[in-house]
Amino acid sequence: MASDGESKRLKDDQGHYLDAGFWRAVWVMAVISVVLMAVVVAYPIDPWFLPEASTTSVDIDKLFKFSMFFSVPILVFVNGFLIYFAIRYRRRPEDPDSAIGSQIHDHRALETWWTVVPAVLMVTLAVLSYFVIPEYYPTGQAAASAVTMEAIGHKFYYEFRYPGLRNSVMNDAHLPIGVPVTMDITSLESSQDVNNEAVIHSFWVPEFRIKQDMVPGMVVPLHFTPRETGTFRIVCTEFCGLGHSHMWGKVIVDSRSDFDKWYADQKRSEQAEAKGVQPISLAPGDAGAGQTTFNAKCVACHKAAPFEQKLVGPGLGNLFHDPSHPNLVTGKPATPANVADIIEHGAHGDMGTMPPMQVNGLSQKDVANLVAYLQTLHK
Amino acid sequence: MSVADLGHVRTGHIHPPPDTFVKKYVFSLDHKVIGVQYFITSGLFFVLAGLLAELMRAQLTGPNNHVLSVATYNEAFSVHGSAMVWLVTIPVLTGAFGNLIMPLQIGARDVAFPWLNMVSFWMFPPAGILLFGSFLFGAPQAGWTEYPPISLQMPFGTSMWCMAIFLIGVSSTITGINFLVTIVKMRAPGMTWTRMPLFVWATGVTAFLSFIATANLSAALAGLFIERTFGVPFYDPAKGGSPVLWQHVFWFYSHPAVYIMILPAFGIVSEVLPTFCRRPIFGYKAIAYSSVSIGLLSFMVWAHHMFTSGLQHWEQFAFMALTMLIAIPTGIKIFSWLATMWGAKIHLCSPLLFVLGFLSTFTFGGITGVLLASVPVDIHEHATYFVVAHLHYVLFGGSMFGIFAGLYYWWPKMTGRLLDERLAKLHFWLMFISFNATFLPMHWIGLHGMPRRVATYDPIYASTNLFVSISAFVLGLSFLIFAYNALRSAKQGEVAGPNPWGGRTLEWMISSPAPYYNFDEIPIVLSGPYDYGKPLPYANIKPELATVPTH
Repeated sequence: MASDGESKRLKDDQGHYLDAGFWRAVWVMAVISVVLMAVVVAYPIDPWFLPEASTTSVDIDKLFKFSMFFSVPILVFVNGFLIYFAIRYRRRPEDPDSAIGSQIHDHRALETWWTVVPAVLMVTLAVLSYFVIPEYYPTGQAAASAVTMEAIGHKFYYEFRYPGLRNSVMNDAHLPIGVPVTMDITSLESSQDVNNEAVIHSFWVPEFRIKQDMVPGMVVPLHFTPRETGTFRIVCTEFCGLGHSHMWGKVIVDSRSDFDKWYADQKRSEQAEAKGVQPISLAPGDAGAGQTTFNAKCVACHKAAPFEQKLVGPGLGNLFHDPSHPNLVTGKPATPANVADIIEHGAHGDMGTMPPMQVNGLSQKDVANLVAYLQTLHK
Repeated sequence: MSVADLGHVRTGHIHPPPDTFVKKYVFSLDHKVIGVQYFITSGLFFVLAGLLAELMRAQLTGPNNHVLSVATYNEAFSVHGSAMVWLVTIPVLTGAFGNLIMPLQIGARDVAFPWLNMVSFWMFPPAGILLFGSFLFGAPQAGWTEYPPISLQMPFGTSMWCMAIFLIGVSSTITGINFLVTIVKMRAPGMTWTRMPLFVWATGVTAFLSFIATANLSAALAGLFIERTFGVPFYDPAKGGSPVLWQHVFWFYSHPAVYIMILPAFGIVSEVLPTFCRRPIFGYKAIAYSSVSIGLLSFMVWAHHMFTSGLQHWEQFAFMALTMLIAIPTGIKIFSWLATMWGAKIHLCSPLLFVLGFLSTFTFGGITGVLLASVPVDIHEHATYFVVAHLHYVLFGGSMFGIFAGLYYWWPKMTGRLLDERLAKLHFWLMFISFNATFLPMHWIGLHGMPRRVATYDPIYASTNLFVSISAFVLGLSFLIFAYNALRSAKQGEVAGPNPWGGRTLEWMISSPAPYYNFDEIPIVLSGPYDYGKPLPYANIKPELATVPTH
């Protein structure tokens, strides 16, 4: 577009655009920006963010804060000028129909500035981000010093395999504080899955600011170091089916001694199992306590209603007395021992997977209570 | 080319107007009728997809609600997303606005291939019927992205989804070719590239994207359909396929698709601003060329949707850097639009209000986009409500506000009547406030650990979700004001005249609604369209229709 010499100054026959009102508006926006930027810098991480429970989370929050820091003046100035111009240059009642605005087409210096400044900001953010990326995927020494374990996504729970433990740990992972962990993340492949239903899950611990999709057929190492003790949620963020909304696990970060104690307990129960001491027996249960457990743990997937009223799994209101469904999903008749077996070990059926009892955080006592409660139902 | 050489262009042959109802309104070859057909069809799908969103928000008013079953909820969000992208935003911005406005703005009597244009439209309703009909056969549940392997395990409805989107894809590709040829070959004499209205620039780049990118989507969908139907393993890892392959091919289309959904809205903004500011658009060339560079860059950033899918580090860094580059041309546009208001004579009418709403919300969506481009930050935010909020700020706060700006702006050209301004302003404020109330809090719950695509959630998010749901219901109601206003205008709307807003582009130089064959004589263009300080730059237009205010 043609632009004559006159338009190179921000001034034409309609008036001078860098007038006192303009500078007043700029000052107001600058003050608001500075105040908000100061708030971004000085404000404690809470409650804008979750606790920073891994070393990586500290660096990510710094990046996030840096981005917010430069975003604040951009948002303030864009919205500020929007409002200022809309008011300052509005058409007044006394203006004739033919009144027009400034006929400036462009302004080289202004356009250069608003190209260069965002470019510099983007390069800065890219460089800063570049140095945080390797924290997830360490190479060399950091990887060598880390404890390596596995996390496997199932429908709809997490399985963890620890070095030195024969049995997997379901859903609730224990980790010691301050020890770097490399977690090999994957999902069950369909060839191994009795249901032939491998899907993508995701392993996300919001307090750690780490996330990795669990892709069947791929193993991706994810590196992090817990820096706070406590219990943190694991959340699935890749849609994985009917149970996706409920696919929650836990990471329990223990002190070093608590972790060692937990690990020793796991080891001991494995040895007891190896010796053939099976602590499983169906004691008589308490139906009232069973109802409480049912309402806390089972109702997300099962209703206490007839079989046909399905949520994720079938209704269990007539489990022991349903002539149209005499057999359980395992093909065995509905006896207390067979029901207890499903609650303890899980099952795979047309509707999906019932996880084993560790996933639901049930004890042997709970299983007995649940069986007692389910026997009382006639719906 | 001198004007004298172009005599033959001005005296093209003219077909007689269609004489039957079917030829005139159903299988019409007229780009304006086809544009309106797109508006009506997409409008219907917008209502259905919007109702699905309201159902989802009803389910999410509290944790552990049973308004919908889990399966129905999954179907609702999948069909909502698919319909809003492929049956609403893309057809409205390309099929409807592109058809209705672009040929008028370049001084053409129709698009290059009118028959192809009709075919392209008639692929669209069957696609919608297939997509919504999938509810009868078990609708898709894995979201609008339908990642395998889970999409391989779903009932027949997902195959119908493949067919629906494939059809839309073919239609979109054909329209892309049609528009490209139209813009390259059929501009009025004297309309050089840099005298084209900016909406035509945007439509041209969008047509190029539709033409090039959509074939990749078709390939991905064909693969999914073949694997589902015949078991040929493209994506199933157990049989040697790769789930990540789908993600690459899908996003190689779907990232350019984001720009297919926003560039025409940029074009609308660039038309509305000069008209209501009574001044030339600031930085015409910068805006036009930034559309082109955004279009090209959009092909190089697809894997930023896949930072948690297990990419190599160097891939992550490359896609992060390229993604951040897009912020620069986008920033140039936003700052140029702002500068257009500087020293202007602003008529604060409804189209401009929606454009101001667009500038405010789209800038916010752009900023969260930069946050999401940073790999480490994205790894925390990916697939959470933060992303849900971001994409709605871009596609609702951007595209949808742009669409309504365009609707209010070109409604008189489409129907010959004006919409009521007071109702329009009420619509704007209700929509603007409830939009922000709906989607702003989602950023916060996303950062705090709420994943997307869940029918229930941790009770700690209950109060925020309830607030979001109530705002979403108000947002839904705000569209009723528009519906009422549109119906009302048919009888009671003020008769608009050829140029109610004082625009200077060619569509305002003919009567409203635009006559059959648009221009009795093809106009001749003498300079750029936005110079309010100068006489109209057209020859061969009827002087009684050229009612633009000049200095």
